[in-house]
Amino acid sequence: MSPTSSRDASQPRLDGEARATAPDRVSAQMPARTGEPAIAYPVKQPFTWWTRRRGYLLYMLREFTAVGIAAWMLLFLVQLARIRQGAAGYQPLGGPLFVAISVVCLALALWHSYTFLSLAGLFMRIPLGDRTVPARLIARAMFGALAVVTVAIAGMLIWGGA
Amino acid sequence: MTTHDSTGSRARHVPRKGPNRVLGLIWAGFATAAVVGAFIVPAHILIQGVLGPLGVPSFDRHYGTFARALSNPLVKLYLLVLFACSFYMLAFRVWYVVRELGVPSKLGVGLVSFGLSAVGLIIAGYLLFTGP
Repeated sequence: MSPTSSRDASQPRLDGEARATAPDRVSAQMPARTGEPAIAYPVKQPFTWWTRRRGYLLYMLREFTAVGIAAWMLLFLVQLARIRQGAAGYQPLGGPLFVAISVVCLALALWHSYTFLSLAGLFMRIPLGDRTVPARLIARAMFGALAVVTVAIAGMLIWGGA
Repeated sequence: MTTHDSTGSRARHVPRKGPNRVLGLIWAGFATAAVVGAFIVPAHILIQGVLGPLGVPSFDRHYGTFARALSNPLVKLYLLVLFACSFYMLAFRVWYVVRELGVPSKLGVGLVSFGLSAVGLIIAGYLLFTGP
């Protein structure tokens, strides 16, 4: 019984009657008779639930990384569209504002890489004799691969422009 | 598998016959896109967005080098993968986050987010494969 409820456990509850179980507006409904399909427990969260804890905030920031990455890709699409104007009309994106936006997007992209590759050690199980490769080692290998791939792609991009 | 969610909508448990393969494919697509994106996206933003405008040579700073790179079909395909991963990640994460912020319509949010993602990918494909 919730401390906020006004009746005790001995009192019957009417069919379909909502019951407040917590101050944060969590409500629940139970089927009155057996045999009826079970009813889900709707949990109404306030819009700002993600500001309550640091972990929630970091979770939301992780989800937001996709927005930053896609925003930068849209800028790249603009650059792709500009090349259709020919050699005389082509003007690559630049300037302090573009660099500043790119720095923010880079930080978000790196946060995505860090959080997602860190998970690799949790969901990858690599057998090694009667044990498995430690999760921390897998995550480090993923970060090593990220460094190698980044250097390789950066080299190709620079070589293509030289 | 049930239809309940955390958005406040009053849903009933509806037993699903067998596994939800469509949702499994969507999740598998997200895992793939997120891993590929985690590896290849930072290098592009670093070189093309930060170091390129600051003077480091980059293939997209001049028309000649950009057009020459885009004339290679493998480069076009690679860039299409880059766009696909980025837009798919956006669609998937928006699909979940918007519902976690209280919007109850799973199907509606999914259609909008994945639809916009598909539009972005189509535009990228058009620009890549019909350009110089």
